[in-house]
Amino acid sequence: EAPLGLYFSRDAYWEKLYVDQPAGMPLLYVHALRDVPDEVPSFRLGQHLYSAYRKRLHENNWIRIQEDTGLLYLNWSLDHSSWEKLSIRNGGFPLLTVYLQVFLLPTALREGECQWPGCARVYFSFINTSFPACGSLKPRELCFPKTGLSFRIRENRPPGTFHQFRQLPMQFLCPNISITYRLLGGENLPFRCAPDSLEVSTRWALDRERREKYELVAACTVHMGAREEEVMVPFPVTVYDEDDSAPTFLGGVDSTGATSAVVEFKRKKGTVVATLHVFDADVVPASGELLRRYTSTLLPGDAWALQTFRVEHSPNETLVKVNGSFIRATVHEYRLVLNRSLPISESHALQLAVLVNDSDFQGLGEGTLLLHFNVSVLPVSLRLPSAYSFTVSRRAHHFAQVGKVSVENCQQFTGIHVQYDLQLSSANCSALGVVTSAEDTTGILFVNDTEALRRPECTQLQYAVVATDQSTHRQAQAPLLVTMEGTYMAEEPGCPLSCAVSKRRPECEECGGLGSPTGRCEWRQGDGKGISRNFSTCSPSIKTCPDSHCDAVESSNPNICPQDCLRGSIIGGHEPGERWGIKAGFGTCNCFPEEKKCFCEPEDSQDPLCDELCRMVI
Amino acid sequence: SLASPSSLQGPELHGWRPPVDCVRANELCAAESNCSSRYRTLRQCLAGRDRNTMLANKECQAALEVLQESPLYDCRCKRGMKKELQCLQIYWSIHLGLTEGEEFYEASPYEPVTSRLSDIFRLASIFSGTGADPAVSAKSNHCLDAAKACNLNENCKKLRSSYISICNREISPTERCNRRKCHKALRQFFDRVPSEYTYRMLFCSCQDQACAERRRQTILPSCSYEDKEKPNCLDLRSVCRTDHLCRSRLADFHANCHASYQTLTGCPADNYQACLGSYAGMIGFDMTPNYVDSSPTGIVVSPWCSCRGSGNMEEECEKFLRDFTENPCLRNAIQAFGNGTEVNLSP
Repeated sequence: EAPLGLYFSRDAYWEKLYVDQPAGMPLLYVHALRDVPDEVPSFRLGQHLYSAYRKRLHENNWIRIQEDTGLLYLNWSLDHSSWEKLSIRNGGFPLLTVYLQVFLLPTALREGECQWPGCARVYFSFINTSFPACGSLKPRELCFPKTGLSFRIRENRPPGTFHQFRQLPMQFLCPNISITYRLLGGENLPFRCAPDSLEVSTRWALDRERREKYELVAACTVHMGAREEEVMVPFPVTVYDEDDSAPTFLGGVDSTGATSAVVEFKRKKGTVVATLHVFDADVVPASGELLRRYTSTLLPGDAWALQTFRVEHSPNETLVKVNGSFIRATVHEYRLVLNRSLPISESHALQLAVLVNDSDFQGLGEGTLLLHFNVSVLPVSLRLPSAYSFTVSRRAHHFAQVGKVSVENCQQFTGIHVQYDLQLSSANCSALGVVTSAEDTTGILFVNDTEALRRPECTQLQYAVVATDQSTHRQAQAPLLVTMEGTYMAEEPGCPLSCAVSKRRPECEECGGLGSPTGRCEWRQGDGKGISRNFSTCSPSIKTCPDSHCDAVESSNPNICPQDCLRGSIIGGHEPGERWGIKAGFGTCNCFPEEKKCFCEPEDSQDPLCDELCRMVI
Repeated sequence: SLASPSSLQGPELHGWRPPVDCVRANELCAAESNCSSRYRTLRQCLAGRDRNTMLANKECQAALEVLQESPLYDCRCKRGMKKELQCLQIYWSIHLGLTEGEEFYEASPYEPVTSRLSDIFRLASIFSGTGADPAVSAKSNHCLDAAKACNLNENCKKLRSSYISICNREISPTERCNRRKCHKALRQFFDRVPSEYTYRMLFCSCQDQACAERRRQTILPSCSYEDKEKPNCLDLRSVCRTDHLCRSRLADFHANCHASYQTLTGCPADNYQACLGSYAGMIGFDMTPNYVDSSPTGIVVSPWCSCRGSGNMEEECEKFLRDFTENPCLRNAIQAFGNGTEVNLSP
């Protein structure tokens, strides 16, 4: 926006024009307000009459303006033939609205460019009749233009006159109708309507940060002979903002003006380390410009810090209560964010400074604010519990889950990649394997050799669990003791490889399948309520399958838990899982992993049919 | 600029001379050496980065003056025509030269729609078998009937299942869908399926929430409409105006749906069909509108934006948004279509 000394109090004005109105008739005043006290407006009209959508209709030969007062008047009567000529240029529409542009001098604006604050449009509705008889005019028409009045006044500017109530053509053509105006709701407010001049002015400079909307009411009384009638219309004034407030802290800082943050288990790139809020009572610059004009710079210092952190800024409009009403303001959120994933070995303590610059600030003092972040980056050491001990059934099938191992605080880890391994420390009874679950940084132990499980000499297995951080190769170790229990029983003949194949409870529970820790599949009875997450199904262990999550063990073989892991087609009423598998199913869901298919169908009714008749028979 | 008068908001300039389409006008211009050289000049003026400085240049101004008298000035485009984008590019290359700064309403580059809603009502009533027992029809779910009618038509079914499967396809846990492809599929659906099917799904009338929720879900709003952040409406409008198609569809919406105080229906020339058509024409662009909730009768539509962060342009922003949320023409047109009444007088 160019620094232009003066501005219009509205961007559009409206007036009616009738055929054959006399030359010399005053039309309306336009008003300009000042930015500095000694400016004097000088008004100039654009050269052309335009139609809606800016089509040039004709050179303006009819309307003139008084350069100093802003009075527009008819210099030449608009007769029928001129009216018709304009109408034809406009496409022959009976309703003809045209506009003129009024500029504030000095400007170097081109004719085509009319933007508030340096230009306003004056719209004229041409009415294809002559001016009606004064007695037939309604009070509403006599008092106010058809379109509502609304004004814009800049804050912190010298007071001035911004409106004039009289409808000049009415007064000119119907001088015998007496009309008076009042401004209601203006007591103690900075507005004044002089009874003699009917001009509305501000009495002192406005401040948007105290009040940004004035909902005044303009009242007009028409005296026609003995009759008196009052008309009221809304008269809203909007105060326009300028950047006169400097940014300030909004809580979250200690006595030294800093906020502290600890980086420990969450070390992933993109982690928000700390957040500071900055308050600014202004609403300019607006959203489109804001990020360009309201800058934040991470001040140079440590090269490590500049490489490791970045600042993210998101502004948000908010409402603040001032003198009982709400006023818009802006809260800026500044987030200190990790710019890279940090290895667990890194350890630092540092202060970061961020310079916030409200570059449009025009008030007294500084428009800048320094944010301080005291950041401690703590190293993470991998620790496993002193010892693990699990039992495993000799009847367990391949991929049966035995237990979980994890380093301390692993649930909180992000950006840390730990891999778990098993080292066999006793005889060659290696029956178990471990896979790392990426989601929660735990290791899942599972049976990977059923033959070793059943060997009589293998009653106890001793392992060392080794957790290794992938980026630093740091390790932790813990002993693991696995005890075999129960006796092996041969599998029923004809059992399927996967539990999920079984469709009914009896055939499910008499067989085992891949992944079953007890050697038997388990039946989950659903609730039978439409397409439900709790559908009936047969699985190796209802603790792990189905749980809408295809875990690290389950994903290693499609036969373990196709309900969670299937990548294929599901036939019947269902809702697909977020990545794969079944999220919800209708009735019973059973699967054929080899064919990559699951079927969800309602359970066949197993209750004996019994109605009123059969009860009577019994 | 803020607040232009209500009587100026519309297409009063439409419909007086059969316009030439801009692709054809471009051919006519190319055949004439004076016109074609001026047109080349103007395109160079507009191609520069600092458009306003270039346009102030004498040669550019002279080119504009000459072209305002050529067939290029009054040319128009048709919705879904062959080479629609090319046609719109030609249209805006002249008209952008004439607008400096942001105009609130822009003239529509599309030809005015002349067909009336009654044609579609007739078809709609054949499908739903109106004239049946009113107690039955009050209970029925018109949006469900509309979906069924679409499924019985090969073309509608094919393009509907196409956009549904594209808009529903999750890319990753953080990316709900491919929004760009979803928008494209929605545009194909609304461009290539006759409006007796598409309007019935989009503007069906509802008595209960389940029906209204189905209506809200028509365009798969979680992909095509909602976003993580709600931008400012004026910023969204600026984004839309950088794209010729979006800009044209928005201008067309303003031309055909602006509230008119001079007509019975509140719509320009009482033409509901034109308003509904230009509303549907914005689906699949940055300014995609939709029902904001599943209220059965309190119909409020809006693009995905708000007026927060407007600064000194708050009034202008709210005026822009009200053309969607509190527009008597659009509301009457949607209700009239849903009720199967040509003219519905609401205050």
